[in-house]
Amino acid sequence: MSQRSVRLLLGVVAFLVTTGVGVLFGRFDAAADPESGINLPGADSFALILAIAAVVGFVVYAGVEYAQTRSFASISSQFDTRTIVLMPIAIALNIILGQAVAAALRIPIYLDSIGTILVGALAGPIPGALTGLLANLLWTYVVPPPFHSDISGAFAIVAAAIGLLAGIFGRLGWLRPRPGRSTGQLAAGGFIAVGLILVLAYLAYLGYTAFGEFELAPSGDEGLFLVLGYLALALVVGTIIGLLALLFVRRDLSAAYVVVAGVATGIVAALISAPISANVFGGVTGAGTDFLVAAFRQAGADVQAAALGQGFISDPIDKVTTFFVVYLVLNAMGLRAKARFPQGDRLVESGPRGRVAS
Amino acid sequence: MPAFLERSPPSRWHALNPLTKLIFATVTAMVGLIIGGLVGPLILVAVAVVLPASVAGVLGRLVRTSVLVSLPIAISTLLINVFFFPGGQEVLLRLGPVVATREGVGFALEILARILTISGAITLFYLTTRPSELVLDLERRGVSPRVAFVANASVQTVPAMLERASNIVAAQRARGLDTEGSLVRRIRGLLPVVAPVVLGSIVEVEERTLALEARGFTRPGRRALLWFPGDSAGQRAARWLLVSAVPAAALAAAYGLLAWLP
Amino acid sequence: MACSPGFHETCGDTVLSLRGVSYRYAGATDPAIRDVDLTMQDGELLGIVGASEAGKSTLCLVAAGLAPRTIRGSLSGTVHLDGDDAASLQMHELAARIGICFQRPWTQLSGVCETVFEEVAFGPMNLGAPRDETLARTEEALTALAITDLAPRDPARLSGGQMQLVAICGLLAMGPAHLVLDEPTAQLDPAGTRLVADALAQLAASGASILIAEQKTDLLAALCSRIIVLQAGRVIRDGPTVEVLTDPELPRQGVPETSAGRLRRLATEAGIATELLDQALD
Repeated sequence: MSQRSVRLLLGVVAFLVTTGVGVLFGRFDAAADPESGINLPGADSFALILAIAAVVGFVVYAGVEYAQTRSFASISSQFDTRTIVLMPIAIALNIILGQAVAAALRIPIYLDSIGTILVGALAGPIPGALTGLLANLLWTYVVPPPFHSDISGAFAIVAAAIGLLAGIFGRLGWLRPRPGRSTGQLAAGGFIAVGLILVLAYLAYLGYTAFGEFELAPSGDEGLFLVLGYLALALVVGTIIGLLALLFVRRDLSAAYVVVAGVATGIVAALISAPISANVFGGVTGAGTDFLVAAFRQAGADVQAAALGQGFISDPIDKVTTFFVVYLVLNAMGLRAKARFPQGDRLVESGPRGRVAS
Repeated sequence: MPAFLERSPPSRWHALNPLTKLIFATVTAMVGLIIGGLVGPLILVAVAVVLPASVAGVLGRLVRTSVLVSLPIAISTLLINVFFFPGGQEVLLRLGPVVATREGVGFALEILARILTISGAITLFYLTTRPSELVLDLERRGVSPRVAFVANASVQTVPAMLERASNIVAAQRARGLDTEGSLVRRIRGLLPVVAPVVLGSIVEVEERTLALEARGFTRPGRRALLWFPGDSAGQRAARWLLVSAVPAAALAAAYGLLAWLP
Repeated sequence: MACSPGFHETCGDTVLSLRGVSYRYAGATDPAIRDVDLTMQDGELLGIVGASEAGKSTLCLVAAGLAPRTIRGSLSGTVHLDGDDAASLQMHELAARIGICFQRPWTQLSGVCETVFEEVAFGPMNLGAPRDETLARTEEALTALAITDLAPRDPARLSGGQMQLVAICGLLAMGPAHLVLDEPTAQLDPAGTRLVADALAQLAASGASILIAEQKTDLLAALCSRIIVLQAGRVIRDGPTVEVLTDPELPRQGVPETSAGRLRRLATEAGIATELLDQALD
């Protein structure tokens, strides 16, 4: 068997073993919620287990390669110079914007993944994942105050998953501009996008109701909860309006793709980060999202459920916004600048305007 | 080698290999997490954070920095867990609609102790370790020079980009960017700051790529470093010992050996 | 002609030769340079002038091997370095033979070095030089440009001119046979320009082969033995400095006059005798 096959096999074996161990010892005691039929805490733990298993598999792969060849050549050779130059900039972006939002702007989103998603889109899934991982680790272990964050290191896996997904979406061509589409296409896209956002809102609502008693009859301690509900609603509505504007004013169908990508990434991020947040930090991370957690706790949810509920609200909106910003940045970059990146050709318009001759 | 490149660590703790210090910090944080409770983490903090910090002479800075950094989390934790702890029976205080319970206070203190451990351990690490030394050590051990480059460059880029961002924010504020005010206005105010910082840096990527390739960056393989931190057999053994403390603590906790710790 | 230490032993030969070279950027419809023939001898200083967008930067990138290798695009014609086809060399081998310096000093800094010494040592280290060789080369390069006193400083905190010197020093430490400079003083203030100009003069005196593209024709007049004029990507003049730079057609081709040339022209137009002027300017 070739060295490479050995490495891959061992990596996959490690992945499966870790998953098995996680499933055996994980928190699967909560039953499926009768109303929605989804066992949310179970799915939650499983997502985290999968993410950890992926990292373990990757580490085993790298370790075996090191033992075989005393280097990590097959991994580091995927990165060309341009990607290597972009990554520190992306990491710095993550740290600065994330810290600024967390500390200065008290809004319930994070905005600490712009760099990760940018690298994922331009360079691919693995560079994206590595960017997220390194950014969070450096943010905790190396960067001094005022840009230091104690909590980010624990969420390095989440950041890696976000980068991976962004790379996949980039490779699928989802972040390519699609202007001037027909009204029919735009309507379909708008329908999907708005529909998704509404489904998301419904899931969040389910999250509220599945874990506590939510009565619309206003009693004293429900007031805070109502306000938060309206706040979340306002954010959702604002996002919808912005994206519809992109759809119909610029007739750019990619707005729909951006929404789907953002929502999908947000849900995955919420699933993986909730157990970490709940078990390590008790659901509280010192950011603007904490009052959402408080609201859920007020409604009677335990730590796990509160963290998950908060995640389901904050993460998709945060990721949709981030994907949006990245999409705008990519558009502003121009053909030449994008084309030289590994995945650059997936980010330009197809057709005569986008042809990148070599 | 020129004199100014020689590193002279200010204390025995500083002189430890960066990897040792890194593992020490991570293990401390993880064990503090596993042990749980209140007294366990506090003992850990005393032994694994305060003691080395005083040996290293950074205790004052550590206390100040750690407290400052964990303050927002601490306040949030206290408020949320004291007042919003579901299932709390023993009521301590009633402030209008919100109720403080003893269980809530207990839980909040536990989380606080845990945060203190993590924050203290990590703060000790970066107060006593220069990032460039950590990266050099990792490169010596086989990490690719490219990864080392990314790590080093990221650390240096943060203050550089910050300068650029603060210039932009100052200019924007002169033109009326709102950092207070309504939620919608704040969100809208994000883009004019993000865009120039992001685009300006991206424009530079092309030139930096060319410059790096012109400096032989594309050559595969390792480099002969001018200097790297020292290591010793004793520290190697200590690292393995530390790493094994994590599963040991996990087993002890699982078998209830630590139940006597309040 | 003696070759200075620190440069490859390539005495007396053609060190750089471009034959029929055209290059088109990726995504562009027209080539940026067309049918360029250029040879550079060892120890020669070759200047390139032309209006902006005439193809000076492109020519520099092609001469250094970065085009098409790093930026894609399509190249026709041949580029030979010391007799070897540039296409047959790996990028880091090219980097070891040709050092290229760009306009903006700060984007040329590696961004990972805390002292100028380490910054200059970055090149040799990348090329895999053993520790002692790296140290020796770094010291040599710093001495060659007389910036040893800058060695312990933080490169990010230098002036533009100093940064540019550090960049050039970093290239020298790799021991290239030739240097290519793409408008090295364009972003510098007059003090910085003078710093770089003096350093280049020193290098020239020690026998380096340098290809330098510039708008500042005064600089080229002082340094170069030969000048090439580019217009719309083609070479329209190739000759000794004095001849080329005193050509009255030059301003119409987008090339600024030298100060000496301008004085002469104004004097002639004003009817002032130019003999005294010639004496003073030569």
